Amino acid sequence: MVAPGDGKKLREGVAMVEYELHLLHNYLIVGALLFGIGTIGFLARRNMIVMFLCVEMMLQGVSLSLVAWGRYHGNWGGQVLVIFILAVAACEAGIALAMFLMLYRRSGNLDMIFWQSLREENQSETVDVEIPEPDEADHQWPILTPAGIEPDHDTEKPLHRSHV
Amino acid sequence: MSDNQTLFAAATVLGALGLWQMLPRARSGIGRVVGPLASLVSLGLFGYLAPRLMLDLNQSDTSMIAGQVIFWLLAAVTVISAAAAVTMRSPVYSAIWFALTLLGSAALLMFQGAQFLAVATIVVYAGAILVTFLFVLMLAQPEGQSHYDRVCWEPLLSACTGAVLIGILTLAMHTSFTGGDVPVVASTAAESSDILTTDHMARLGAELFGRHLIAVEVAGTLLMVALVGAIAITAHGRTGRRKETAGGRRDG
Repeated sequence: MVAPGDGKKLREGVAMVEYELHLLHNYLIVGALLFGIGTIGFLARRNMIVMFLCVEMMLQGVSLSLVAWGRYHGNWGGQVLVIFILAVAACEAGIALAMFLMLYRRSGNLDMIFWQSLREENQSETVDVEIPEPDEADHQWPILTPAGIEPDHDTEKPLHRSHV
Repeated sequence: MSDNQTLFAAATVLGALGLWQMLPRARSGIGRVVGPLASLVSLGLFGYLAPRLMLDLNQSDTSMIAGQVIFWLLAAVTVISAAAAVTMRSPVYSAIWFALTLLGSAALLMFQGAQFLAVATIVVYAGAILVTFLFVLMLAQPEGQSHYDRVCWEPLLSACTGAVLIGILTLAMHTSFTGGDVPVVASTAAESSDILTTDHMARLGAELFGRHLIAVEVAGTLLMVALVGAIAITAHGRTGRRKETAGGRRDG
C-alpha cells in the first residue's frame, strides 16, 4: 500500500538522482577540458616553467573529476585522494623548481631545446627555422596612473619657515 | 551517433583549432582573429551542448537553474583562463592566468561541497606553488620574454592530441552514462550523502586520520624527503660548479 506522501518523496528522490548525475556529468566535462588544454600546453610550449604549469593544470582537471565522483558515490574517497594529490604536487613542485634552477645555471636559459642532445639516436635535431620578432604589444607593460605632481625643486626657497 | 554528439565533436575540433592558432608562433593577421573566434564559438557550443548531451531534465526545476548558471559561469572562467595560460607568450602572464584557473577550480570544488579542498587548493597552489614559480621566473628570466617563448613544438600536432584526448574522455563518459550501470549507484548514494553534512571538516578529518592514517604518514615522509632532496640538488649543483670552475682554472 502506498501512502500519499510516498509518491512525492519518490519523485523528489528521482529528481535528486538526476541532479546528481547531471552535476557529475558537467564536472567530468570540465575536468576533461582542463586536462586536454593542459596536455596541449605541455606538448607545445618550450619554456620549462610553463610546461610545469600545464602539468599542474592537468592535475587540477583530475582533481575536479575525482571530487565529482566522490560526491556522486557519497563517500570520502575522492576528496582524500585529492588531498594526497596536493601533497605530491607540492613535493613535485619543490624538486622540479630546484632542478630548473640547476638546469638554468648550466644552460643560461629555460629553453627545453637546450637538452635535446638527450633525444633518441635516430631522431633528427630540431632547429628553429624562424623565430618571430617580438611584438610591440609584448613590450608594453601596464603602467600605473600618475598620482600627484612632481614638486618643483626650487632650492632657494626655504622649505621650512625658520621663524614662526 | 546523435546530433548532439556530432556537435560536441565539432566543438572539440573547433576549440583545438582555436588553441592551435593562438599558440605563440609567427602569426599572420588572419590567425590572430580566427584563433580567439574559433575558441569562443567552441566554448559557446560546449555551454549549449553539455547540459543536453546526456539526459534531458524532465522537470525544469527553477531552484536548479540558479545553480546551473553559477556552475557554468565558474566553468567558463576556469576554461577560458586555462586556455589563456597555455597561449600567453609571457610566462609571467601565463602564471597569473593559471592563478585565475586555480581560483575558478577552487570555486568549482566549493560548489561541489568540498570546502576543505577549495581552501587547500588556494593555499597550497596559489599561495605556495605559484609564488615559487614566480620566484624562479624572476631568478631565471629577469628580462621577461625570451625567444623560446615565441615558438612552439609542433603546435598543430599537439592541438590534435589534445582534441583526441578530450574526445576520448567525453566519449567514454557518454557510453558509460548511457550504459545504465551508473544510475543504480546514484540511487543508493544520493540519500546518504555523507559529504554534504554540516560537520564536513570533522568527518573528513576522521576519514583521513582513521582509515588513511598510514597514507598520511607516508605523504608526510614524502614531503620531508622532497624538502631534503630540493636542498641537496641546489647545494650539490653549487659545489659541483665550483669544482668545475676550479678545475678549469687549474687547467688554464
